[in-house]
Amino acid sequence: MHDVPAGHPLPPRGLPLFQIRDLAFAYPDGTQALRGVDLTIHHADRIALVGHNGSGKTTLIKHLNGLLHPQHGTVLYKGEPVSGDNADQLRQEVGILFQDPDDQLFCNTVYEDVAFGPMNQGLPQPLVDERVQEALLAVDLADHAYKPPHNLSYGQRKRAALAAVLAMNPLVLVLDEPTANLDPRQVRQFARLLERFAGTLICITHDILFLQGLCDRAVVLVQGRVHHDYAFADLVAHPASLREHGLDFSFRLSCCGDGHHHANPEPRPQPAPGSGATGHGGVPSSAEAASSRIKIRPGSSAEGGTEKKALIELRRCSYAYPDGTRALREVSLAVRHGDRLALIGENGAGKSTLAGVLLGTLAADGEILFAGQQLDARARRRLWRKVGIVFQDAADQLFCPTCWEEVAFGPQRLGLDRQEVDKRVREALATVQLSGYEQRVPLNMSGGERKRLAIAAVLAMQPELLILDEPTAGLDPRGEELLLAILGHLPLTMILITHDLFFINALTERTVVMHRGRILRDYRTDDFLADDHLEEAIGLGYVYRNECRRPAVSAR
Amino acid sequence: MIIHLPFFPLLALAALTGAAALQLRRRRRQNGQADAQEPDWSAPVLDEAADRDSPFHRWDARLKIASLFIYCFLVVSLQTLTWAAAALAISIAAVMASRIPWSRPLRRLAAMSGFLTMFLIVVPLTAPAVPGETLIVLDPFSSLILHGEGLRLATLVVVKACAIALLMEPLLATAPLAVTLQALAALRLPNAICQMILLAHRYIHVLGHEARRMQRSMRLRGFAPRTDLATLRAYGNFLGMLFVRSFDRTQRVFEAMQSRGYRGAFPTWTTFAATPADWAKGAFWIIMGIILLTMDRLNLC
Repeated sequence: MHDVPAGHPLPPRGLPLFQIRDLAFAYPDGTQALRGVDLTIHHADRIALVGHNGSGKTTLIKHLNGLLHPQHGTVLYKGEPVSGDNADQLRQEVGILFQDPDDQLFCNTVYEDVAFGPMNQGLPQPLVDERVQEALLAVDLADHAYKPPHNLSYGQRKRAALAAVLAMNPLVLVLDEPTANLDPRQVRQFARLLERFAGTLICITHDILFLQGLCDRAVVLVQGRVHHDYAFADLVAHPASLREHGLDFSFRLSCCGDGHHHANPEPRPQPAPGSGATGHGGVPSSAEAASSRIKIRPGSSAEGGTEKKALIELRRCSYAYPDGTRALREVSLAVRHGDRLALIGENGAGKSTLAGVLLGTLAADGEILFAGQQLDARARRRLWRKVGIVFQDAADQLFCPTCWEEVAFGPQRLGLDRQEVDKRVREALATVQLSGYEQRVPLNMSGGERKRLAIAAVLAMQPELLILDEPTAGLDPRGEELLLAILGHLPLTMILITHDLFFINALTERTVVMHRGRILRDYRTDDFLADDHLEEAIGLGYVYRNECRRPAVSAR
Repeated sequence: MIIHLPFFPLLALAALTGAAALQLRRRRRQNGQADAQEPDWSAPVLDEAADRDSPFHRWDARLKIASLFIYCFLVVSLQTLTWAAAALAISIAAVMASRIPWSRPLRRLAAMSGFLTMFLIVVPLTAPAVPGETLIVLDPFSSLILHGEGLRLATLVVVKACAIALLMEPLLATAPLAVTLQALAALRLPNAICQMILLAHRYIHVLGHEARRMQRSMRLRGFAPRTDLATLRAYGNFLGMLFVRSFDRTQRVFEAMQSRGYRGAFPTWTTFAATPADWAKGAFWIIMGIILLTMDRLNLC
């Protein structure tokens, strides 16, 4: 159905779909989001709109949908300025998939949400029905048409939001971080759907590898300006330029060891002495970490020979939510001192529930031991003193008016004196390279800074076990690289819950695969990365992206 | 007249009843977990029974709301326990006729039970004495005197409250929420309020999840509510952040609605057409209410 967008007239031959000239926009707080943007978009263009967080990408796409109006300059759609009735027409033809599906699913059933757009287009009921059915079928949600959106999983909600846009048969499809927080299978499902879309595609994402093969043109925004507008292949061919704009994802790429000398063709800039690029608190800068390359995990405990004591151990633990959903089924797991463990599985496999049990927030049936001591219900509730977690969405963790208060919140609850609290706050902020941010308002910080602040807030409590839930979600490559450097040098027992195989490879020596509430595999990360049977077994569909760079080079 | 009742056996009876109810609930929940086939949904929704079939489901939503609303006002006006009990019996019959699972109205009553129980305890103890009324003395606490008139009054209020709460199920759960709100709009409730209710019903869950996640992260950093300034400060920060996040979400949801063609109204195909049967059902409920009130006022029992 979406192969050829039907029902909307194309612009006359030769006339671009969008002509943006000297576009500028500032928010009421004075933030200048766009400055003199010039951009021409033709029908069937497939554009990767990239730039680091805060570069103006989202502001620009809101102009393409008439949600924002130019303060300076012009936006022409099919040769007409976007305003009044034309803006209404524009919204019928330009669909945006927003980053958070909960923003886009505002009705009480999936059907109503998907029908909302076509009904606003004034289509007759039978045609709306047809469009809804086709869109839901395309995203594999036909069986969920009458379900309330809040009862869908995150991945399902994301697909339902896409169906709501596709049902309008848009001429232009704009996607804002479409793959954020999705498991690999769902990412591939998204990619397949978008490959079939024959209209104009504009995709904002930091996942350059997802864009490869999907987009043929790259527009790089830097501080609200179009810095580059060229073929997508040229974007990935210039790591130095990517690095300059905070888009260098090439730290994720390494040679397979077979002597592909072009794996890292351009040396990374080394920080000048005294430039401040060296990390605080013993943590090297991102550039140093990158140059130290890929495996920054410590020696594998699995390979070490000497058996370490278990720090925390679950024995036949089961957990069912009040609605009856069995999230854990007789799970046994031992995490040893110094372990760096990756916990993976499809969305809904039970990873977050397992983390909740390890934190003592969920009361599971079965035994839990910490440092060899069996924990009763009361002791489990006090596990927060030993186990820290950084949640997927840093906003869930940040609620204080300043960074100092945020980081000091935990140590203060531990009953530490003022001097000790102050010392811990300074150390934790230095570790995550946020020294000097003490009086900054967390709400006004970038996504990457907020994530690091959340880590600092946990580190200040000096936990013995640190759990990180999707730490790279929403970060740009520069933020990811910095995070990698910080996490790689934390001397802590760590559990990493992620779909990001690069981080798994770089940080962990052991991988636990979960499926439907059970532990399916528990083996060395190297064995996991070499395991070709996971997709067959549980349909996880992981594609190990840390392949030798040769395919990308030959693609050029 | 003075009646003496033993306090402690009564207390033990109440405690046993409560414990039995809790045990039953726990057992049912465990059975539910054992039988559950990985359910697709977790939270109850207002109109989950809307796809069933009953006289209430087939009733024009506008007339249903208007007539049951009037009937509820008439029930509230009842003054005698007998006719209030009759209204309660009618409500029970209405729930049965609407073919709604009993778990829903019972959950609604359970939500009210705390307040009603307190009402049942406090009013008989504090009601002014009326000449000739029955007094109940709870031995051995001779100072604990329950006033018969106060007990009657409290029971009357509780019975009427239950009768009306039960009727909310046939009223609200027998049509999709969107249809109910369109009916309210047709009855001249401002469109903006109807849309706000619709969006609130969707986003209360999202907001609840956000609040729970934030509370969990506070708890994991050692927050335990106390009666001190630090607790108040933490709660202030929590509520402030929740408000800011809700405000931001409101902005984003509005943009998402606009981007899909929203121009101030939710599109709908629902059209209302009242049949003679719908009018007859409406008349039946109003007449029923008038009869109850008349009998009550004439003190016929």
